[in-house]
Amino acid sequence: MSASTMIVAVIIVPLLGAVLTPVVGGRSGKAAGPWAFGTMLLTSAIGVYLMAHVARVGPFSAYLGGWEPPYGIELRFDEFSASISVICLLGTLAILFSFRYAEKELPAERLRYYYTLLLLNLTGMIGFVVTGDLFNLFVFMEILSLSSYALVAVSGEHTAEMAAFKYLIMGAVSSLLVLFGIGLLYALTGSLNMADISTRLTGAAEAPAMLAFAVLAVGFVVKAAVFPLHIWLPDAHAIAPSPVSAILSGLVVKMGLLGLVRIYQIYYGARVLDLSTFNLMLVWLGAISIVMGAFFAIFQEDIKMMLAYSTISNVGYIVMGLGLASQYSVIGATVHVFNHAIIKATLFLGAGALIYRTGYRNLTDLRGVGRSMPLTTAAISIGAVSIVGIPPTAGFLCKWYIALGAIEANQPFFGFALVFGALFIFVYYIRMVNAFYFQQPVHPEILELKEAPPSMLVPVLLLAALCLIMGILGRLPLSFIEPAVARLLGTLGMGG
Amino acid sequence: MKRALTAALLIIVALPMLYAVAQLPPQGSPTSPAYTHVSARYLEAGPEEAGAENVVTAVILNYRGFDTDGEVTVIFTSLAAVLAVLLGVRTGEKPLAGQPVSSVEASVVVSFVVRLLAPAIALFGIYVILHGHVSPGGGFQGGAILASLLIIITTILERAQAEALVPLRIRRWLQIAAPLAFFTVGVAGLVVFGNYLQFPRTHDLAWLTVTWLTIIEIGIGVGGAAILATIFWTMGGDS
Repeated sequence: MSASTMIVAVIIVPLLGAVLTPVVGGRSGKAAGPWAFGTMLLTSAIGVYLMAHVARVGPFSAYLGGWEPPYGIELRFDEFSASISVICLLGTLAILFSFRYAEKELPAERLRYYYTLLLLNLTGMIGFVVTGDLFNLFVFMEILSLSSYALVAVSGEHTAEMAAFKYLIMGAVSSLLVLFGIGLLYALTGSLNMADISTRLTGAAEAPAMLAFAVLAVGFVVKAAVFPLHIWLPDAHAIAPSPVSAILSGLVVKMGLLGLVRIYQIYYGARVLDLSTFNLMLVWLGAISIVMGAFFAIFQEDIKMMLAYSTISNVGYIVMGLGLASQYSVIGATVHVFNHAIIKATLFLGAGALIYRTGYRNLTDLRGVGRSMPLTTAAISIGAVSIVGIPPTAGFLCKWYIALGAIEANQPFFGFALVFGALFIFVYYIRMVNAFYFQQPVHPEILELKEAPPSMLVPVLLLAALCLIMGILGRLPLSFIEPAVARLLGTLGMGG
Repeated sequence: MKRALTAALLIIVALPMLYAVAQLPPQGSPTSPAYTHVSARYLEAGPEEAGAENVVTAVILNYRGFDTDGEVTVIFTSLAAVLAVLLGVRTGEKPLAGQPVSSVEASVVVSFVVRLLAPAIALFGIYVILHGHVSPGGGFQGGAILASLLIIITTILERAQAEALVPLRIRRWLQIAAPLAFFTVGVAGLVVFGNYLQFPRTHDLAWLTVTWLTIIEIGIGVGGAAILATIFWTMGGDS
């Protein structure tokens, strides 16, 4: 099988797995979980092959139906597509974690459709990051969005349904904006292939090109939950089942950011607009997101609510890095997409394990749980240290790079905002760790509990270990993404 | 106050948008990129190289077939979403056999007319599906017609009887007919011509193109019908 066939396979395998899940779920739906797990293992294997290939030969394409672009749909695997590594990793672990969790939290009839939606969600993300066609990107974004809304509501509690509805309304508006933007670009260029649009956009009328950029950017920024457009996120991410929270916070919001990267690829290449004003706006919004997310998180009692607000802060870091548009900051931002996914999944799955065993989700109720569930709380603590960005964990290098980028871009003030945000974040994670280990339990029976079952504990520990490993091997993803960023900014004449 | 602010905000947003849209290449102008670039090739070479007599079908199933593969997945996702959110609400029980959907019995007239029309509707649905490769439309529209047939039958029969027309075991397979049809044709294209979803390009293999297009149209039609009817039955379950 050639490499280009494998790009198609990395979408088709989970897609086929997803549609077959209700059928192979069996009479009771019990087989759906293992089937989904197997599907993701196979997908991950293909993903590893693709990553190895892109590292060896650089970006490569597949032409669907054999139609060369721009006439047919091109799938293009570049360094940014390598985010399928975290999609596959978190997807596999979240499904494993769901075996026991979903059995307890969801009505039995829904199980098979829960796994179907999880696989569809992952398929949507994989398609989103590997496609080279703008309309195809939209199609996968719809699969991804629709399944996300349903996954938030799947527990059937009234609050979950309301949260999902709010998410649906915001998400639908953002999808509409993206579609409108694609339509404008088509009217300007007559093409849907991203690379082709980029070449043909040069010399296009400035006002419509600007409008297309604006609606696409706003659409993706809503999906990414950047500050004034974040209001849907805390409820949706906190109320969803924990494995879903891990996927939503770790991966789904990042798709908005990767969408933004794709738009940058088009516009930086076309040089049709001066994006520095927009970039400055993005940097400011990023800075505000960091501070506001951290500020709101401090006052949360609910552990998952706290984590959800922390996602807004972290998206802020990434957006700020992209907006600073310097070599260091963009590399830092891109790698933070990977690292934050791992860290946030550690935290959400860890929190899920605590909720599964104790039945509580407030910090006060969870006091003392560190004594009865030492492994889970240790994993959460590692995640907390990483997210604050203390070396040598995964969170450190990215933030360091973004701060360096701020200096490189002659905007040291934003480096200061970044450190200030990290201090805020430090405060609320200290609160969490303090409750786990050092405070007297409110519910004495919490001390009698055992660790979560292995199918839940293993993913949490594995992810916590990765938080540490990625800190030590942090140079690896940095050097991997470097050529892609150099190409992106090189077209701007300010890379290298 | 709030209303006035909203109106003001909308105007502030709308003005630059209108200004920008006014500068787009004029609609209908033969020099607009939308007509001269990709679509020009579709119109000139489409009937020859894509093998479908209708250019719209050539674009949605051949040139950009993978998008349609994605779209049928979106439809399936909506089904999975409805089932994941609504199943098991009613104290976890299956709907009682013989429980009528509506508390009012359908009148004899309605019942008679539905019975009279049913075969004609079914025939028309199948016709639209099978006609897909020569006329715009096909699986999606034909599927919707078949689904509406199942839905009006539900209004005159008891729901359990109507659902029995498509038993649960088969229904789960029918619901995924569209993605499976795409997968089958896609893999066939990969094996025979070397690319996923590749159709033959030569004229003497036009019969193969038509066969494959028909497989996809039937998949979309059957799958769409099963999905729409299931969504109707599931959402109507609470009444």
